[in-house]
Amino acid sequence: MLQHLQNEKLHHITRRRFLRDCPTGLGAMWLASQGLAAGAGKLKISHDPSAPLAPLLPSFAPKAKRVIFLHMDGAPSQLELFDYKPQLVKYNGKECPPEYLEGQRFAFIQGVPKMLGPQFSFKQHGQSGAWISDRLPELAKHADKLCFIKTMQTDQFNHGPAQLLLHTGHQNLGYPAMGSWLSWGLGTDNQNLPGFMVLISGGRFPRAGASLWGSGFLPSVYQGVQCRSAGDPVLNTTNPAGISREIRRAALDSLAKLNSKAHQDFGDPETITRIAQYEMAYRMQVSVPEVMSIKDEPPEIHAMYGTQPGKDSFANNCLLARRLAEAGTRFIQLFDWGWDSHGSSAAESLGDGFVKKCRDIDKPISALLTDLEQRGMLEDTLVVWGGEFGRTPMQENRGGGDGNRFTGRDHNPNAFTIWMAGGGVKPGLTYGETDEMGYHVASDPVHLRDLHSTMLHLFGFESQRLAYSFQGLDQKLTGVKPAKVVKGILA
Amino acid sequence: MSWYSDVCSSAFRRTGRSTSARSSLCVSRGRGRAFRCFGPAKAGTPWALGLLLISASAHAKIDFARDVRPILNANCTACHGGVKEAGEVSFIYREQALGRGESGKRIIVPGDPAASEMMVRILSTDPDEVMPKPEHGPALAAEEVATIRQWIEEGAEWGEHWSFVAPKESAAPVVKDTQWPRNDIDRFLLARMESEGIKPSKEADKAALLRRVSLDLTGLPPSVEELDAFLADAAPDAYDKQVNRLLDSPRFGERWASVWMDLARYADSEGLGIDKRRDVWKYRDWLVSSFNKDLPYDRFTVEQLAGDLIPNATLDQRIATTFHRLTQANNEGGTDDEEFRVAAVMDRVATTWEVWQGVTMSCVQCHSHPYDPIRHEEYFSFMAYFNQAVDNDVPENHPLLRVPLDPAKYAEAGTLQSRITSLEEGVFQRRTSLASRTAWLPTAGMSGSSTKSKMEVVKHDGVEEFRTIGNVAAGAVHTLDIPKPAGLASLSAFRVEVRPVDEEKASHTPEWGAMLNKIRLQLVAADGSATEVPLAEIVADEAHPIFDPNQSLKGSNRGWGQYTKIFKPRHAIVLLKEALAIPDGAKLRVILAHATDSAGGAYPLIAKRGRIALTGEPGWITPDLEIDRMKAELAATRKSLAAIPSTTTPVIRDLPPEHARDTRLFVRGNWLDKGELIKASGTPEVFPPLVEEEGKPARLAMAEWIGSPRNPLTARVAVNRFWLELFGVGIVPTPEDFGSAGEKPTHPELIDTLAVRFQGEMKWSMKSLLRELVTSAAYRQDGTISPALAARDADNRLVARGPRQRLTAEMTRDHALAAGGLIAHRDGGPPVHPPLPEGVWRPFDGGDKWTTPPPGQADRYRRSVHVYWKRSIPYPALATFDAPTRELCSKRRILSNTPLQALVVLNDPAFHECAQGLARRMKFGAAGDLDARLSLGYRLATSRVVTPDRLAELRGLFLKLEKDYAADPALMKGIAGTPDGAAFTVVGSVLLNLDEALIR
Repeated sequence: MLQHLQNEKLHHITRRRFLRDCPTGLGAMWLASQGLAAGAGKLKISHDPSAPLAPLLPSFAPKAKRVIFLHMDGAPSQLELFDYKPQLVKYNGKECPPEYLEGQRFAFIQGVPKMLGPQFSFKQHGQSGAWISDRLPELAKHADKLCFIKTMQTDQFNHGPAQLLLHTGHQNLGYPAMGSWLSWGLGTDNQNLPGFMVLISGGRFPRAGASLWGSGFLPSVYQGVQCRSAGDPVLNTTNPAGISREIRRAALDSLAKLNSKAHQDFGDPETITRIAQYEMAYRMQVSVPEVMSIKDEPPEIHAMYGTQPGKDSFANNCLLARRLAEAGTRFIQLFDWGWDSHGSSAAESLGDGFVKKCRDIDKPISALLTDLEQRGMLEDTLVVWGGEFGRTPMQENRGGGDGNRFTGRDHNPNAFTIWMAGGGVKPGLTYGETDEMGYHVASDPVHLRDLHSTMLHLFGFESQRLAYSFQGLDQKLTGVKPAKVVKGILA
Repeated sequence: MSWYSDVCSSAFRRTGRSTSARSSLCVSRGRGRAFRCFGPAKAGTPWALGLLLISASAHAKIDFARDVRPILNANCTACHGGVKEAGEVSFIYREQALGRGESGKRIIVPGDPAASEMMVRILSTDPDEVMPKPEHGPALAAEEVATIRQWIEEGAEWGEHWSFVAPKESAAPVVKDTQWPRNDIDRFLLARMESEGIKPSKEADKAALLRRVSLDLTGLPPSVEELDAFLADAAPDAYDKQVNRLLDSPRFGERWASVWMDLARYADSEGLGIDKRRDVWKYRDWLVSSFNKDLPYDRFTVEQLAGDLIPNATLDQRIATTFHRLTQANNEGGTDDEEFRVAAVMDRVATTWEVWQGVTMSCVQCHSHPYDPIRHEEYFSFMAYFNQAVDNDVPENHPLLRVPLDPAKYAEAGTLQSRITSLEEGVFQRRTSLASRTAWLPTAGMSGSSTKSKMEVVKHDGVEEFRTIGNVAAGAVHTLDIPKPAGLASLSAFRVEVRPVDEEKASHTPEWGAMLNKIRLQLVAADGSATEVPLAEIVADEAHPIFDPNQSLKGSNRGWGQYTKIFKPRHAIVLLKEALAIPDGAKLRVILAHATDSAGGAYPLIAKRGRIALTGEPGWITPDLEIDRMKAELAATRKSLAAIPSTTTPVIRDLPPEHARDTRLFVRGNWLDKGELIKASGTPEVFPPLVEEEGKPARLAMAEWIGSPRNPLTARVAVNRFWLELFGVGIVPTPEDFGSAGEKPTHPELIDTLAVRFQGEMKWSMKSLLRELVTSAAYRQDGTISPALAARDADNRLVARGPRQRLTAEMTRDHALAAGGLIAHRDGGPPVHPPLPEGVWRPFDGGDKWTTPPPGQADRYRRSVHVYWKRSIPYPALATFDAPTRELCSKRRILSNTPLQALVVLNDPAFHECAQGLARRMKFGAAGDLDARLSLGYRLATSRVVTPDRLAELRGLFLKLEKDYAADPALMKGIAGTPDGAAFTVVGSVLLNLDEALIR
């Protein structure tokens, strides 16, 4: 009976959408007769409403099929990890030169701060000779897999707006996240799982909250679904007490029969969609806990990641990310709280909290890269690591004194480092250079919208064409300003 | 219906040429299931839906707005519009289009197509010449070229876009079927249907109709008793009586408040950054009661936009202004308060236009409107209406209005507050008057130093002033030594003046201000010994300062100062307790100790530039009986007000004129890059002018301009919104865009006639309008979608069937609570915290608690309109059913149909509780056999009488479950004590998940 309904539904859709979706045949003939070349203008993306996540093809051959985005929430210091500045060692403890202060806005620095040298020692690693500090010894072994961009720039220097800009391309709330854009544009490979999943560690939500994985003006089916470490892995996937899977099946069978009667009575195609959604919900109740349960992973995997089943940890989330990637999730977003090293408390300082955070991520990220590679998935999985901005080469001095109680750095939107690996980016590459203090970009700036444009390119889209009409504007992830693909990092 | 024609019609729906998307810029297609109706279809062919909307050559005379503008928007304005004027050519304004481009050739010569460069370029075969350029888009179609040629021949007359011209009432058309129409709405709709050769649907059965109208008007399903009463009522006006009952229900206001709260971006938290709780619920109560008492839409408008400026404004009218205080705030450390103040002001502009005018004004903040004739400067003239509001993104959220918890006390509190305002004004006037009569002596030979920065004293325009050098830090203490001025024997008061470092720039882009923790005065004898001089009072330069300036006598970070920005020179007058004789050779020492905290934890509030002036004027120290009397009354009045149990709500209040901010144009929308000074507030020229009245505050005049019948958009946009809520699609299908990039109305005469009647005959009564809509035959139609109608008009734009809409997010939850017999009603009150799944509540602000009342307590089962609405953590069940987060004005909810929705109704603990409630009603609330109980359950969930086949299905399921539970009693744990109780619960859940239970 379901099959019959499906057919009926398809019939509907076919009749209504034949032309608008069909790239060849009559649709194309009509377009051609109107003089509209297929390559120009906004892409026409439309989904079968009863399977809104079914895979679609991009405009050109993609290099990457899925994203694992590791967001270090709070903005880790590039000067303690990847952007080695020997000059800063020399200037350590000296007053900041006035040319660095003029016209700059700071979040917390007051008066004349002191310069702060790198707090940890650096070495070059791998054949590529990438500079990596001694805080990430495991990751350093993967240096030749990584593609560093040292010259990332953002427009925002407060966490909330900067995180929004990083994930949605806009500093204001209400725009779709990258993961929403991609799952709208491409659908997802596993119809029993959402296309965009979010994993959170570090004990706190990111500042800008659920807006970082919201679908904005795109349909809500494309919003990120937050996976949780406590309670249901995805909200409401567990049946209430007293309702077994068999009982639920019986109930859903009756529900489907009753709903198909409603369809017979009212002829509403949404009813057929609803029947299909209940079936997917039922499948998700199995597939989500299955993919989210790591306890059956072999001991060597647990040892490699440093995972402990049931714990709320970044390590667990890295392993989950691999499992979700394997299961066919399009966009896997991790947030790890605790990188805001101002020096205002031990936890938020370079000497203490930062060291612990590095320890928390070093092994799991290395394990994730190893694991993806050994499964042959690194080549089409784009792994991105970074924060929402960088940190200043000056030591933070709240209240204008010599420094905070602990050692830390203020926010710096002018230059920061991210790295990518896998899916279509050049391994073992360092792109762009900052000035001798690591404060500004010296060559090859990469704005966040260039990063977005480059990521979309890796997925087979031109950022100008992946657009959605809303409020009188063809809305894009990259906004209205020009965005470039960073060709220099493409493999 | 031929296969071919069907295919074509869908193609045209999708991409009618006149509105097809351009390459890079701004074409609206609205959202969701858009299809277009402007194809070159032939009138009279039955398959093309769009035919009454078609343009171009079918008409004898070309109408610019109807026929030409769409062609220009689709093909030309991306390069030759409000944003880009390539080759100095723009088609937004006639005078520009008739001018000369960069080439010097005349673009359009009225009456002479051949001499018009536009025509030459359109017709050119040279790829370097032809317009549009081949890489930008296709050549114009032959009929489009013909349209433009004919239009130029006819004189290239300009005409405004339909919605920018006042609506006109049309007589209802004559229809063939005179039986069907119940009112004029039906005649307009039927005329269109008849011309398309289709017939309306039959009337819905009574139960379906009562369900629909109950949910639409009150957001709740009818009770079984209400259904029975209606079914038994055979009177011809039985339905009308139900409509009146629903319009009179207190639940009516709750339903429509929910709709308005999306527009008002209502949330109980601040958004951005920290997203802390903000008490604004008194505004929600105002909304509910305004809808319930049918506050006319024009007054509803004026009160929200300018209630504070209405003469003798009531407390209610001032609460209404919370509307524009629902903008987001950013209190994250290190944020610039001016940046987010400006963001809020710009949001007020955007929201005002989107809510009342359906115009995307935010397009104009960076450049002129790409399609519509609204200039970049005009955005800022309009912004000037909102730029004088006091609020400035500080954590205190001032100005706050104290509002009694008990509405019965509103009048009393309002009177007390007005009294306080006028007493403060009275004291201030007397002080100002004395200050202007006082001879102020400047300092001569002042020297200064500061604890946390370097300082110098310089002369500026002949007057000494202190200036800090370089960076400053919080808590700085300035010490200013002032030699005894010649001719000043004794001192009665001194004036502390703080000035922006760059006065000219600060008038529009302020600097961080100064907050004085403590102001002290010492007398320094010739030998250097200092004696503290007792001070009596600090008098601020404004009547209603946020903080009591006298706190700076005792020492407080929130005393006198500029919190947190300074636009203009500001001063305070410090009064001595008694006259101070200054011996020769002695010095005065003024000590300015600044606040030890910083704005946003980051920006120190330190006077970087200032002056001191001295006086011996005796008036400052002689008792002033009038002031004493006013102060005494002020204290007593404040005490009486404080005694009334109250909450607060942030409101709009303007700065006094002497502290007004300058408004400047933002170059390319960048608030840090200021352009020309905007001399006066104003409305865009394309609309009928705002008639200024002497003495009427500008913002009030603007609000009245919006709420006036002369405004061409207000009534149309409102009518369309109510229509959209009831019918599922607006007469203008893009309610968010009534501009020329939006879709045109499917029934232009209908929307205009309704708009004229709404503002005239109905006197802006929203209830009258709703009554008219829901009593139409169109609304009362059966919602069945026949295959023919589905193929022909899937979105039901012709309204040849009744609406069949999914419940809104709020209705979904309220409906389940009602079906489960749990819902608890209350009029107004603070937000509630119903059950929330584990792990969802992790607010950034740890003090924001979610405490759910235990089962059985009423606050667990309040309607969704009362649920605490936190922007960063939306209530999951509502968000899953497409409720927006309300960070910004949200004009339309796009309904989705997802597996997560299924999981909510199946498994969310709150919904499971409703299933259990429904089970109890079936088990205990019905007499008779199993069939009777199941029938009741079905009826509670769907309002319908169960059919035998459905009943058989439910019976089969129940009996199977009862058997399964009896066979395995361990399974029942946590659901019920008996097998039949467990089975009723599962059946209850099935009933709540029925398609018929989720639609209205």
